[in-house]
Amino acid sequence: MKIVTIKTFDQVIIPLQQHDGAVCDSLVSVGDIVSVGQLIGDGEFRIHSSVSGEVTAVSELPHPTGKDVLSVVIKTHDGEKSEIESVELSTGKIRRIIREAGIVEPNGQPTLRTKEDIDTIVVNGTNTWDLSSHEALMLDHPSKIVYGLKALMETVGAKKAFIIIELGSEALHVMRTETIPDSNIKVIATPRYYPPGTENTLAKKFARKKVPRGSTPEDRGVIVSSIAAMKAIYDALRDGEPMIKKVVTVAGAVGSPRDVLVDIGAPISHVIKECGGYSGTPVKIIVNGAIPGAAQYSDEVPVIKTTTGILVQTECDIEREPPAPCINCAWCVDECPIGLMPHLLYGYADSAQFDKCAGLYIGDCVECGMCAYVCPSKLPIVQIIRYGKHGVAEMEASE
Amino acid sequence: MTYTISPLPHVKSDESVKRVMWGTVAALMVFVGIMCVALVYRFGLPGLELIFPGIKILFVTVIAAVVTEIIIYKAASQPIIINDGNAVLIGLLLALILPLNVPLWVPIIGAAFAIAVPKYIFGGTGTLVFHPALVGFAFLLAAWPTLMGVESTPNLGSFSDLFLETGAGRLIEFSPIAVLLGGAFVLYKKYVDRRVALSATILLLLLMPIVGMGSQLPYVITGGYFLGLIFLAADPVTTPVTKKGRLIYGVMLAGLILIQLYFNTYFAGMCFAILLMNVFSPLIDRSTIPKPIRGK
Repeated sequence: MKIVTIKTFDQVIIPLQQHDGAVCDSLVSVGDIVSVGQLIGDGEFRIHSSVSGEVTAVSELPHPTGKDVLSVVIKTHDGEKSEIESVELSTGKIRRIIREAGIVEPNGQPTLRTKEDIDTIVVNGTNTWDLSSHEALMLDHPSKIVYGLKALMETVGAKKAFIIIELGSEALHVMRTETIPDSNIKVIATPRYYPPGTENTLAKKFARKKVPRGSTPEDRGVIVSSIAAMKAIYDALRDGEPMIKKVVTVAGAVGSPRDVLVDIGAPISHVIKECGGYSGTPVKIIVNGAIPGAAQYSDEVPVIKTTTGILVQTECDIEREPPAPCINCAWCVDECPIGLMPHLLYGYADSAQFDKCAGLYIGDCVECGMCAYVCPSKLPIVQIIRYGKHGVAEMEASE
Repeated sequence: MTYTISPLPHVKSDESVKRVMWGTVAALMVFVGIMCVALVYRFGLPGLELIFPGIKILFVTVIAAVVTEIIIYKAASQPIIINDGNAVLIGLLLALILPLNVPLWVPIIGAAFAIAVPKYIFGGTGTLVFHPALVGFAFLLAAWPTLMGVESTPNLGSFSDLFLETGAGRLIEFSPIAVLLGGAFVLYKKYVDRRVALSATILLLLLMPIVGMGSQLPYVITGGYFLGLIFLAADPVTTPVTKKGRLIYGVMLAGLILIQLYFNTYFAGMCFAILLMNVFSPLIDRSTIPKPIRGK
């Protein structure tokens, strides 16, 4: 087994916003006793308690996105360990169970968004170079992932499914073996990583359905999901367990980097301590990978449903090279997963020509960071694009 | 405990502008090395005398380019950034396409012009419109046409000419295979634009027999043409950036070279075709901006 389960910490912080959209309403208040799997937040998504214990606070606390978000703090009870009961299954119920399990895709969206006719399911199993949570899941639980995928296919009536895995990954062979009996599930190897937000690109590339700008893959009968969601569907259907655990890659300057199964809400500092603690002085803590991830102000932020990895960097990992002028090499254009012109956006936003930025669709940028990663001039492209998005929003507001 | 905060990405690739420039210089220097070895192998040590004037031009041009750049930085009271390799690359490219028999003061003027006018007047690395080495070459050709004539023109007569061309009039024409080797390296590393280089080269070689210019093919399968199509035409700064635009650029370039071959002299025709295409580059870019494929 590649994935190591981390024991429950004595206090968890469960933010009531772990998705795209509004903050959920809290269903608990200070002093309440909750058990594992109990619903504690409801709204666009359902949020469940990942431990049994007593609610000690409901307040605004730091969140991995950098904001402060209303969160429920639960003090875990010692010794007490309530198990979740397995639920009875009937096909009609699957759709409801998937929705009620509070499953969130890495992009912050639900797996089942619409009731339209779905023809194809694309499962994204690619990782950035420093994350391996998808690969670890596929190596450890191939049959559970295929079960989850088949259940989803049956529910929505999809005829085909594609599992997208990076070239050279061990999981490629494992998943191919696992899907031999199912002729309608195809495992496809790809040379590159598809970050969250590139659902339309995945639908176009692998399901061969052209999704026009501004519409979702569901409009063309495609669901784009992820390996983590497939495992969560299995857990919800077979064990009746809502999304309260997450496989997270811990990498970088820690004692023993590995893939771990963590309770949602566990503070990052606890996860790192369980992985052997920091080796050397940590300078930067990054959630969700070195290229698309966000640097954290504190290591007390919790693991949430969209967390896929924790990376610790020391002083020598941090680049502080001054940028050179753009040489029009077009590497950023080749790399952009959704087909933007990053260097033009950089140039226009840097000179505050926000109308031109809007004309080049600056708002579509998913901020995956690939352009700034490959840039030979070391330009801070994503930072300037964010500034440009802000400028465009202000410009539109003043009109 | 305080942590460092910065926008993503938190790692960056190893490639840098410096590596792009010096990598291209290295590919060209490997070509020079292979050429010397091939000459010694074929003719013994006296073979080196054949390219001795070329090597002299090479050193003089590179030094002139670097010195010009330093003077311009000093005059503009800017910090001197000479180690990015751009001036060396421009000097090297110019030296490789000059005739072997040119007097030494000509490349000095050419290199100084190439750095001062097409590079600095147009705003320096990254913002220039025309390839500086080609502008330098065109300037010399227009100013001293009698001095810029070559003593002999290469012509692919036999298979061995691919390895060592005996009728070379320019340094670059000695070994087409060696140019292709250097070209393969820069194409693999993406230091030049693959789409432009490959589409233009393949289309040109395919079109020539089709339009009835097959008899001119031996003049095209030479080091000078390979250098032009891979290193000069596909230079990242002067080519378009959109994916579609780069293909269009390559196709148009192949067409222009065909026209130039029909009416103009063998080598200068290609240089003018590339310079003319440089003008179209911003226009192609502007008209081929793609629509992103992002959902709501």
